[in-house]
Formats: sequence, structure tokens, C-alpha cells
Amino acid sequence: MTASAPRVIAIAVAVLAIAPLVLPPFFLQLLTEIAIVGLFATAFNLLMGYGGMVSFGHAAYFALGAYAAALLVKKAGLPMLLALPVAPLVAAAGALVFGFFIVRLTHTYFAMLSLAFAQIVFTVIFKWKGLTGGDDGLLDVWPPPLLKSPAAYYYFTLAVVGLCLLALHAIIDSPFGYALRAARESPRRARFIGVDVRRHQLLAFVLSGLFSGVAGALFAFYNGSVFPDFAYFPKSFEPLVVALLGGVHSFYGPLAGALGFKVLEWLISRQWPIYWPLFLGGIVVLVIIVLPGGFVGLVSGGRWRARPAA
Amino acid sequence: MAGAPGGVILRTAGLRKHFGGVQAVGGVDLSVPAGDVRAIIGPNGAGKTTLFNLITGDLAHDGGAIYLDDQDVSGLPPHQLCRRGMGRTFQITSIFRRLTAFENVQTAFLTHHRRHYNVLRRARSLYREQTSGLLERVGLGEQAAKPSGILAHGDQRRLELAIALASSPRLLLLDEPTAGMAPRERHEIMALVAGIARETGLTVVFTEHDMDVVFAVARRITVLHQGAVLAEGAPADVRANADVQRVYLGNPEPTR
Repeated sequence: MTASAPRVIAIAVAVLAIAPLVLPPFFLQLLTEIAIVGLFATAFNLLMGYGGMVSFGHAAYFALGAYAAALLVKKAGLPMLLALPVAPLVAAAGALVFGFFIVRLTHTYFAMLSLAFAQIVFTVIFKWKGLTGGDDGLLDVWPPPLLKSPAAYYYFTLAVVGLCLLALHAIIDSPFGYALRAARESPRRARFIGVDVRRHQLLAFVLSGLFSGVAGALFAFYNGSVFPDFAYFPKSFEPLVVALLGGVHSFYGPLAGALGFKVLEWLISRQWPIYWPLFLGGIVVLVIIVLPGGFVGLVSGGRWRARPAA
Repeated sequence: MAGAPGGVILRTAGLRKHFGGVQAVGGVDLSVPAGDVRAIIGPNGAGKTTLFNLITGDLAHDGGAIYLDDQDVSGLPPHQLCRRGMGRTFQITSIFRRLTAFENVQTAFLTHHRRHYNVLRRARSLYREQTSGLLERVGLGEQAAKPSGILAHGDQRRLELAIALASSPRLLLLDEPTAGMAPRERHEIMALVAGIARETGLTVVFTEHDMDVVFAVARRITVLHQGAVLAEGAPADVRANADVQRVYLGNPEPTR
């Protein structure tokens, strides 16, 4: 991290804290979405940036978190503040079961199997009308009155996302995170310093699924409803695109990417709603070719530019 | 301590491996006493690297058995062999390229001390002294803060040696540790290995194409030919062996 990172974070926190005093509700909702997408993409990037594993199916864990939260509130009658911490455990359990098979594969096969499992989750949600409401989704999934206003839910989301980001940052800086990076750089070398690479990757997968589930649960209560397309493949590509835009080799990349992605989406789709995917495609191409380090690479050029001399 | 003086630290019995119709290793019996510095030599395709990869669990064997400290370790995965005191380096340099040299070795210490599942501590502050000490020992003290991917080739080989040593192995297998190095550098790095072996009682098994290096460092030499042991003995005996001269050294009086 650059030396000025703490100062940037302090300023960002201060700005975010006073935002509700000056911004109309619409922008608070936009910021809430940015925080949720930022958490989702950061959880995703634990795998991609630090573990070297590209998942094409992370919508599965987002949707498991969202549906678990909605079902716990609607069918089990749990209060939201209890459903919120339990729902991510369901997502983590899903990540454990699917990940057990996925981490046995590498590269393209890893990506395709993760996509296949997400499509299974989507199909189950879509078809199991009795439990999930199928196509109609589950409606009236609201937080308690105290958290219902845009400003209140905004603060609540910031607090939960902030805690999760601290946890993810600690994981990345921990011995576990170092060994995960070692497994990314050279699996066979990592095995021969004593790392059980497959188990390590599975644990990272479960942690990534857990925090994706937090993002899903937060989004369920923000949205007031959950729908099968939470698990559909475009949702799986969202964290991938966001992380690429922001930069996968920095902890803050996915957060910067979420900010850029959501602001661009808002700016462009209010003018030309049907052309947003076209613009997004163009932006992704530009970033990959011109800015391989993502938005963050613009600011903190040095460290990850380092390439072998020969 | 296992691997006590006089004990056999590594033994293979009838070890076999074929790729399709090609018998890469065909019944190798190898016995390495603790404290030995053993060179395994042979022409290209003799099965040296395959033999290494069988011993280290990177390849599954078709037959025979591998014993470490007289315990059957056949079929154990690399990370468990590492825990039992086996270390190795690879023919193609295998380091963590986007980590600094320091982090490379630090991660190996973290894992050796079984901290690698810990998510609560900051790794940065752990095993700093041991890491610095080991980097100094292999001559990389100045390079510690650099991303290891930009180090010179020879320095990367030294770094991989340091990574392997951080696991405190009792048996260290080096697959062509001097590949791609200039002659002077080759002697430096092998002198380093031999010095560490003397100081710590580490057993070293290495493959090497440079006969000058082999005869300067090895205590005993095993010659592989077509996947089988052709000869074994002290350097002088191996050098005088007619079979070895015919298939490998190719010169009745190899130059020193």
C-alpha cells in the first residue's frame, strides 16, 4: 500500500459520513449499492487477485446469501439483525460443497465448473416455486423500521461493509494470505514448503463465498425483494468486471472499480438505457488494453508494474 | 533426531515409472546414508528428473517403494513429504515471482512453523530475523526488498535454495541447481550447498551436468543410464569405471 493510503481512507470515511447531510436520497441509494458491489468484488478478488483463481460463478454465493436472508425473515420469522449474520453461513456452506469440486481443477476448467454450479443454483431457485417463489421472487424483505430510511440503511451498510473489508484486509495480510499468494505464484513450490495447496484454495473459496453472501444479504434488505437473476450468469460477471476495472492487484482496486462502474452505469443508462452494455464493453476493452492495472494502477503505478527483466 | 549418523535417510526399492511405452525409470534401488552429498549423473533422458519427481511425490510411481528414515512414504503428497524433512528445488526455477525475495523466504518459515492457517496475525512481523539471516547466508541480503521476479537468474536459484532451506529439511534434493549459470557461479553455489551440508549435517542429493562441479562437491556418485543404475561409488571409482566412460563421460580421462 502507498504511504498515503491511511490519509485517503480517513478522508473517504469522513466524506461518506457526512454524505447524508448534503446528498438527496437517490445518491445515498447509489452509494449503498456501490458499497455492496464493492464488498462483493473485494470478496471475489480474494480468489482472483490473491489466489489466482477466476470464478465465473460467484453469483451463486451472492444469491445464496440473499435468498437465505429473505427466507430466514419470511419463512422462519427471524428478525433481520439475526438473519443477516446467519445468511452468509449458508453461502459459505454452498461454497464449501461446490468449492470441494471446483478447486480440483485449474484455469478454464475451474471457471467453467464454477459457472455450472451457479447455473444449478439459478435453476433450483427458478424452479422451486414453493420455497423461492420462482420467477416472482420473494417480496417484502424489508429491514426493521429503524433502518428503513435511505440514510439509516446507508449507514448500516457502510458499517457492515467496513467491518467485512477490515476482515478481508486482515486475511490478506495474515500468514494464510501469504501462503495463498505463494500458491498462486507457484503451486508446486508452495507444496514443497508444506502448503496443502488444494485445501488452502478451498478455504479461500469458502471465505470468498462467505463475504459474497454478506453482500447478497445486504442487497436483499436494500432491495426489499430477491429474484432468481441474482444467481444468473450476468451477476457472476459483475464482480469480475468491477475488479478488472479497478485493478485486481490492489486491495482497493475492486472498491474503486465499484465506484467507477456504478457511477458510469448511472450516467450512461439514464441517457441511453439500452446502450449501457455497449458502453460497458467498450470501457472494459479500454481498461484492459490501456490500463492493465485498473483505475488504481493510475495512482499507484510502481509496485505491480515490476516485470522480470528478461 | 532421525537420520542419525550411519542411518539410511533415503532408500528406493525397485522404483519404476513409464510414460506410455517409454520406461523412464526401470527398477532403481538407491540408498543414501544420512550426511551424504550424492550426485546423480547420467546422459539426457537417463531418468534423473523423473527419479527426483518420483521421490518427491510430484509424480506417481508405477511400482517399487520409497523410504524416508526407513518409513514407507510411497504415494505421500509433496506437502507431507516436506513436513517429514524432505526439501527440494526444481530444474525450472520455482519461486514466488511477484513476492519480494524476503516474502518468499518468510512465507516458507511461516508454513514450516504451521502458521499458514492463521488469519488473525499480521504476517509481516513474523520470522524477520530468521528470514534476514537465511537471505544473508545465500548471499541475497542486498536483494531482500526486490520483487523476486526481477532478480538475476543466478540470484533466483539462490533464492529457491533459501526457500527450500527455510523448511529445515534433513534431506535436500536439488535438480540441476546450477542450470543456466556461468561456471564461476556454479562453483560458488555448490560450495555454498556443500558448506551448509557440512555445518548442519544436511543430506544432499543433486543432479548436475557439469562434471567439474560434480567431482568437486560429491562424496558419492550414482550414474543412471536408460532408467537404471549403471554404477555407484566414490568419485574416483566412478571416474575409473569403464562402463561409465563408455556411456557418459565419453573420455578415458575426463578433464578437470
